[in-house]
Amino acid sequence: VTYKWLSYTLGVHVNQAKQMLYDYVERKRKESSGAQLHVTYLVAGNLLQNGHVCHKVAVVREDKLEAMKSKLSTIASVHVYSIQKALLKDSSPLYNTDYDIVKTNLQHCSKFSAIHCAAAVPRTPPDAPQAPVPTRSPPGHRDPGAAGAVNGHGPPAAKVPPQQQKGIMGMFAAKAAARPQDTPKEAKAEAKEAPGVSAASSKPPTKNNIMNNFFGKAAMNKLKANSVPEQPKEEKEVVKPSVAVAEPESSPNTVAEKPGKKTESARIQQKDQKSKTKRVDRSDDEEERDPENVKKKRKRIKQLLSDSSDEEDVPPSPTPKEERTPSPPPAPALKTDLGPASTEVSAGGRKRKRKRVLKSKMFIDEEEGCMGKTG
Amino acid sequence: MFSEQAAPTAQGLLAPPSAEPPTFPRVAVSGYSDCSQPFQLGQRSFCRQYAHIYSVRLAGMRPSLEQRARSRWGEDVALRKLSELQAGEKCCVVGTLFKAMELQPSILQEISEEHNLVPQPPLPKYIQPSDELFLEDELQRIKLEGITDMQRLVTGTILAVYGCEQEDGKFLVEDHCFSGLPPPLAWSGPSSDRFVLLASGLGLGSVSGEALLSTQLLVDVVTGQLGAEGEQSCAAHITRVILAGNLLSQNTQSRDTINKAKYLTKKTQAASVEAVKMLDEILLQLCTSVPVDVMPGEFDPTNYTLPQQPLHRCMLPLASAYTTLHLVTNPYQASLDGVRFLGTSGQNISDIFKYSSMDDYLEILEWTLLAGHISPTAPDTLGCYPFYKSDPFILTECPHVYFCGNAPRFQSKLLQGKEGQRVLLVTVPDFSATQTACLVNLRDLTCQPITFSGFGADSED
Repeated sequence: VTYKWLSYTLGVHVNQAKQMLYDYVERKRKESSGAQLHVTYLVAGNLLQNGHVCHKVAVVREDKLEAMKSKLSTIASVHVYSIQKALLKDSSPLYNTDYDIVKTNLQHCSKFSAIHCAAAVPRTPPDAPQAPVPTRSPPGHRDPGAAGAVNGHGPPAAKVPPQQQKGIMGMFAAKAAARPQDTPKEAKAEAKEAPGVSAASSKPPTKNNIMNNFFGKAAMNKLKANSVPEQPKEEKEVVKPSVAVAEPESSPNTVAEKPGKKTESARIQQKDQKSKTKRVDRSDDEEERDPENVKKKRKRIKQLLSDSSDEEDVPPSPTPKEERTPSPPPAPALKTDLGPASTEVSAGGRKRKRKRVLKSKMFIDEEEGCMGKTG
Repeated sequence: MFSEQAAPTAQGLLAPPSAEPPTFPRVAVSGYSDCSQPFQLGQRSFCRQYAHIYSVRLAGMRPSLEQRARSRWGEDVALRKLSELQAGEKCCVVGTLFKAMELQPSILQEISEEHNLVPQPPLPKYIQPSDELFLEDELQRIKLEGITDMQRLVTGTILAVYGCEQEDGKFLVEDHCFSGLPPPLAWSGPSSDRFVLLASGLGLGSVSGEALLSTQLLVDVVTGQLGAEGEQSCAAHITRVILAGNLLSQNTQSRDTINKAKYLTKKTQAASVEAVKMLDEILLQLCTSVPVDVMPGEFDPTNYTLPQQPLHRCMLPLASAYTTLHLVTNPYQASLDGVRFLGTSGQNISDIFKYSSMDDYLEILEWTLLAGHISPTAPDTLGCYPFYKSDPFILTECPHVYFCGNAPRFQSKLLQGKEGQRVLLVTVPDFSATQTACLVNLRDLTCQPITFSGFGADSED
């Protein structure tokens, strides 16, 4: 039992935990019960070493405590570090206990600490990108817990891509009304930077609201062009097999520049059932998070490639990955990303949709002259 | 530093639980500005030859060297280019130094492997008595003779030599000088105690378990969980943590997977993946409590050539959610609370160590400051980006704290310059080996090492 473990388990300040441990030791010893307790202490102080006055912080066993205290010229602090029944040979159990308990409480690791830092706040979309470093390259990773968090990138390349994406997302999210939580997860996995957008999209019930929310959220999000293409890519890909939302839905799409995409999304919305299944798969995939994300993505891509294109229910997750892989990270134009994305999706996805998608995609591809496969 | 303030309440926690214990707010960083823009590379193109970097280096440092030469050898000393040299005339020449070393690993010798010749093994030092010095400028080169302690010098240094050319075409040097300490920066440091923790060589991913406890202790001290109240309040004065490279250990560098067949290595993960996850967790704990600057090092997953670009945010998903995490370049320059920090992860110093007779990392650090260049051996023996417009490693202003990471042991020195420069030189030791980090007090530019130990250390003392 270390002080840190006690602090997290009981939810008390670390200093109180240390005092509790001390109190326990004292009382137990006074009772002089049979059980032998082994205590380790933390000693810190100044020590003359190699000609420098060195500040030493050490975890010592009880029997070595006095020896260590005498070695230090000034003692800065002494407190109980841990109590255990058996004599410890080395400090690895201590480390392991602390490691485990911290791992389960990673989000609140400073809650019981004695120092609170006002500056340590998670990034949130409403904040202007505070990140000072301009060299952060595209897909930033997101904290899984914080729905609205992240993104410290520079101002978005253009308002248009977010809006376009908002529109698409809006429609997509409309379908996702049945599964509101899927969208955020999917968006997260795909875009990695606009979960807030997707989350926003999924929440409102009405399509109009969704789209409006999208505009708002995306505006706040200041996504980079990269992530933006990623999201619409993903959306399109997901939305393709999704239910048909009436064509008029697509028209509220703010982006006027990409008529191709609009038609695409319109068509995409014509498949309702697929969207659900796709979203189901997606949410499942999305559930597995960040550390494994990269690996999973690679796996999914391989899956998709190995899957026959005849499969109707191609797991949606590979497709987003596929979409992502062809597009190089600093893909400047939304179009280019969408181009290969949709072609990829169509390639891996449904044959009968392929033609339709292809038509629109080809239009874009030819426009772009990009590398997307048309097959 | 900590100890004096903390002593009164040292034993405070050896008591029954008291009332709500105090929490200390972290001292806020009032002024932070990242000045390492010259080290950040945007579009990188490797189509250029490396010769350009030498020419811009020479052009950039020539004025200051000429000024120093004049101040040292007289106002009217003749400054000549190599092409204008006349035999027997005492003059001063400014140029780039080249040290021809027999033992220097050369690509041609590697190619000799094809001819079944034994390749050269890596040596700790490549200097030999038979090394020769050449001075090169834009057009010509000339052999130098007569430089005392020539073994200390390394290729790529810009220096001014004073002497005369002899009949046999060699230049007899009477005296030489470097560009000296750069001009001083105005000092606007804080008036109260503020600390910056410098640590390097965390070495995660290695098999050593003892070092992990020390790393955890370090994090605990900084985040305020360890120590009695006095110590915690002192720890609240730590305004920043700079991790200077080698966050992953050398063990994660195993490249066996390249040599093995693909089917054998398909399911294996690079060792660095686990290590980066561990790093992410540690950084998360730190970031929730203190601003952290993370510099990449020799074994970290970023580019190899200097200047190393920051680690990518994707690798640290948990920690990058916090604004307190700053991923920065190596070398790194920043202004904290009015104090200018400049430092590297140690690759430049260790490279000079290999090619020079200087043994002390602190001495080498000081020497680079006096030579006016962070890393003269790049690109000769240290990988470097082919700059052609300007050399960002030239020291144009004198930093207040100049550090290098991954040194074998902790050393620090306060250097006073003639023009009023005050520089604190710190060699930050490798944490995985020494379990020591450095605390720099910004108010008075002093540095104190802080050591952590677990059980294993008991037997040593």
